[in-house]
Parts: sequence; structure tokens; C-alpha cells
Amino acid sequence: MGLLFMTRFTLKEAIRRRLFFAVIIMSTLILVVFAIVLTVAVNMLLPNVRAGAFPSNIVLLGSGIFITVLSIWLVYILSSILTIVLAVGMISNEIEAGTFAVIVPKPLRRIEIVLGKWLGYALLLGIYTALLYLAFQLIIYWKTGYWPEQSISALGSLELSVFALLGLATAGSAFFHTIVNGAIALMLFISAPIVSIVQFIVRLAVPTQSTTMENISTIVNLVIPTDALWHATSYFLLPSPALLTAVNISSQSFDTPFTSAVPVSPNFILWVLFYAIILPLVAVWRFQRRDL
Amino acid sequence: MTQKDLEPAIEVEGLRKVYHRLVAVEEVSFTMYRGEAFGFLGPNGAGKSTVVKILTGLVAPTQGKIRVLGQPLNHIETRRRVGYLPELPNFHRWLQAGEFLEFHGHLYGLRGADLAKRVREVLELVGLSGREKQRLGTFSKGMMQRIGLAQAVINRPDLLLLDELVSGLDPVGQRDMRDLLRHLKSEGISIFLNSHQLADVEALCDRVAIINKGQILKVGAPNTLFDEPLTIEVRVDHVSDQLLHRLGLVSLAVQQDESQPCRLLVEVQRDEDAADVATTIQECGARLYALSPHQRSLEQLFLQTIDASRR
Repeated sequence: MGLLFMTRFTLKEAIRRRLFFAVIIMSTLILVVFAIVLTVAVNMLLPNVRAGAFPSNIVLLGSGIFITVLSIWLVYILSSILTIVLAVGMISNEIEAGTFAVIVPKPLRRIEIVLGKWLGYALLLGIYTALLYLAFQLIIYWKTGYWPEQSISALGSLELSVFALLGLATAGSAFFHTIVNGAIALMLFISAPIVSIVQFIVRLAVPTQSTTMENISTIVNLVIPTDALWHATSYFLLPSPALLTAVNISSQSFDTPFTSAVPVSPNFILWVLFYAIILPLVAVWRFQRRDL
Repeated sequence: MTQKDLEPAIEVEGLRKVYHRLVAVEEVSFTMYRGEAFGFLGPNGAGKSTVVKILTGLVAPTQGKIRVLGQPLNHIETRRRVGYLPELPNFHRWLQAGEFLEFHGHLYGLRGADLAKRVREVLELVGLSGREKQRLGTFSKGMMQRIGLAQAVINRPDLLLLDELVSGLDPVGQRDMRDLLRHLKSEGISIFLNSHQLADVEALCDRVAIINKGQILKVGAPNTLFDEPLTIEVRVDHVSDQLLHRLGLVSLAVQQDESQPCRLLVEVQRDEDAADVATTIQECGARLYALSPHQRSLEQLFLQTIDASRR
């Protein structure tokens, strides 16, 4: 009961904070601007391709695929940044502000405080990510007719990425000051795609000697799995190989440092599930032993 | 009623707390009884707040046995019977006063109409009626102390732990807080007051513990803790040799004022010995005009104790 009460309080707090409203308003603005830009682009594109070699519906579909990957990448970035901003101070902010001094002595277990807050943020970020994802997909479907066949899987891996980052921020906030935790989370979040880029360059330049780089990339993805999960999301956003061939796009076109043409392994998904669950429990373990 | 008849509210035995290599509290032992107001005195850095934080579960003890209301520290159900107000409290400033009290009342297990009624009661108790809808972010320091006390008593606690209650309050606010604490004490709430505001402790507390450098130096009722004797000024109609002799037997020392021969300064160990002095005067046939003990303040006791510990 205490856990759910803390969850409700966390949701109430997040909704009352101006930051959350700013995010909602900015996200709505982004969606509106995106819809307008996409409408204008499609209206400009269609008359020009009618005289070309491909039918307009094929061109629209091809455009839809690329726009989907790009817009969902934006969802991934927005959700990840929001996760870091909201969650890095989940525990440390309350300790630093002294607000826990009147909550912890109450008839409430520390595990309920941490997991209650974590659940609140998980619900908030999970719903935000899903709504933003669906809003972008609907706009793209409306204007181009493209809807990924594995849309649910794409959303699942996107959500998993948010929960992994949330777990990392939660554990960090039980160990470090907010600003230190924020710096760590942000640097880890940025470092993973950098390693992907380096790995891509090495693979292009010396394809026979890229094993070491792949090992490094694997370790980095185990430590911070967000970039690998984005690659998984991008794979799920692609259409079937037959449809790709129909629109004259090679699946290899998506084998880039930012997207992936191959699925992520089930073992990696299991690892991320473990990662997203164990890190909040590490936070609980630390918080239970911490002097306030 | 003697102390033995009373049930302990707080029992601390051999408490030790070490932060990394810093010993904050060393071998602290004391007992606070139900229904009493207990002052916990010490200079800054003496270890007072560490002890309070240990009692509230905010800090884990390194060593020692602690029981609150007869139960071990982490007993969740016992926490329903304890209220706590930290020093310079900081609360969620986005909450309205009513919401804040509902939140803390809910944590204590209050629900529905009982919670709503209790919120109104404690707001009235701390003089904040009508402020239910005001955000805590707009509260003054004094109002924050009041709303903090309101959350500490919303559960009708058996034990109230207060950490430096009046720090930062203006004189009117301090007086109001003292009156409020007296009222709470009269309702039977045991009050543990951690403070270096000696006037507050003196006005409220039945017993005190003096702590310095992490160690308890003295525990007991203030008037029993003085090492130096109590001086009683006596004025009688005449002073006989028999009177001086008999007074010498019931006191530590008797001194006759040379300029005013009917004025005596009698030194006794305890306040209660003044009664023996009065009886002796009466038995010796002298008429007693005045008998006034020289007041020994808690401040004297505190400063003497701390000074002695530094030597």
C-alpha cells in the first residue's frame, strides 16, 4: 500500500512540476510542426514524382519508411533525455533537499519509497513514450500510408530502452549527488552511439580486424544498452524484405551506425530485462543502508 | 509517582555511531520515560542530532541497543505512534498545506473523514486555520515550523521527537511554540526535545541529558544535577548561637552577614533541604521573615558541565 501511495504522490509531483508541463507542451508543438512539415513535403513531392519511374504510392511508402525511422529516433532521444532529467534526482534530490527527513521516519519501508517512486516514473515515462510514438506513427500513416508491421515490437524495445535508462538513473541517484548522477547517465548515454560510429568506421576500413572493436561495443552495450535497443527499434520499424524490394530499398541501407538491418539477439533482450529490474533493486539495497 | 513506576518511552544503551572514521556518538546511554519532557542538550557538534536521527531511523547506529516505546528501532507499527520534526524542516514546496497534512496523515494510516477532521484540528492547533489552500512555497520560516509540527502530531503521537524546534523563529513565534509544547505535554505526549535553546528546555523539560563530544555527561532533573551547593538567603528576627549551631547540622555551611546580622546565607545540597532549614529556624524560636533560594539556572548547569568536560 505504501508503495502505491508513493507512486501516486510521485505522479502528482511530476504533473505539478512545470518541467513536465513544458515537456507536454513542447512535445505537442513538435507533433504539430511535424504534421505540417510532413503535409507540405508530401504535397510538394507527389506532383513531381507522378511523371517519374515509380508510382506515387511506392514513393510515399519509401518516404514513410525513412520518415518513420527518423521520427521514432526523435521519440527515442526525447524520451531518453526526459528520463535522465526527471530520474537522476529521484532519491538524491529528496535527500539533498531534506524532504526525506519527514517521510523516512513514517511507518513506511524504505523499499516502498524507492520502488514507489520508481514505479511512478516508469508509468509516466512509459506512457509518455508510448503516446509520442503512436502520435508520430499515426501522423506518418495518415500522410504516407506506412505503418510498420512490427510496430508493437518497436514500441517494446523503445520502452525497454527507457526502462533501462530509468534503472540506471535510479541506481545512480541512490549512490551519487544529482549532478554527478546526471553527468554519469548523460555521458554513458552519449558514449554508446559514439562506440557504434567508431565500430562502423573500423568495419568499413578493416573488415577483417574488427573483432576487438566488436567486443568493446558488446561490453559498452551491456553497460548501457540504450543505443543497442534503439538499433533494435529501428530494425522493427522496417517493412518486410519483400516490401523493401518493392520500393527499391535495400535492407543494407539501414545497416548504419544509427540504424540496424538485423534483429537484436533474444539473449540481449533478456539481459536488458534483468538490467532494468536489478538496477532499481540495487538502488533499494543502497538506500536501505544509507544514512540520511 | 517514581520513575521506576513509569514505562520507558526511549531506552538507549551503549549507543555508538561512527561516520567513516569520525566517532559522532560514543557509549551513549539514557532512558526517557513516558509522559515526561526530556531535554537533550549539547553544544554544536556534540552529537545531539545524530542521536535524534538514530531514534527516527534516518541514521543506522554502529553499535548499541535502542528501544522506542518498548520496541526495536525499525518496528513499523511503533512508528505510527511517533511524531518527528527535524531542524529547519524542508517540505515539498509545491504542495498546499492541506495536501501536505493529508499526505503525512495518510502515511500514518489515517483515511477519509478521520483524516480530514484531523487535518482541520492540527491546522487549528498550530494556528494555521484557513491556510489549507496556501502552497508551502509561500510559507514563512515560522509557518514552516508550525506546519512541520502539525505533521508531527497529526497521528496523535505518544512520543514526539523535536530537533531544535525554535531555531529561526522570532520571539513571538518562540513563545507560541513553547505554549504549544506545554499544551501537548499536558495531553500526555512524551516530548524529546533536542535543543541548545536552554530557556525552552528549562521551561518545558522534566529531565535533561547533557551531551558533549558524543558522550553523555549528565542525566536527570535539572535541580539534581548541580555539583555546587544551593545557597539560601534567610532573614529572621534574631540570630542565636543555638540557631547557628542547629543550622550547621542541617546544611553544608552557614554564613552570617556582618552588616545585616539577621541575614544568613545557608548552603544546602538539594532544593528539598530548604524545608529542613525552615523547620530548624522555627524550632529555635526565631521568626522567619524570608527564605529565598538563589536560583540556579539551567544555563549555569549547562555551561559548568560543558566547561568541566573540556578540562
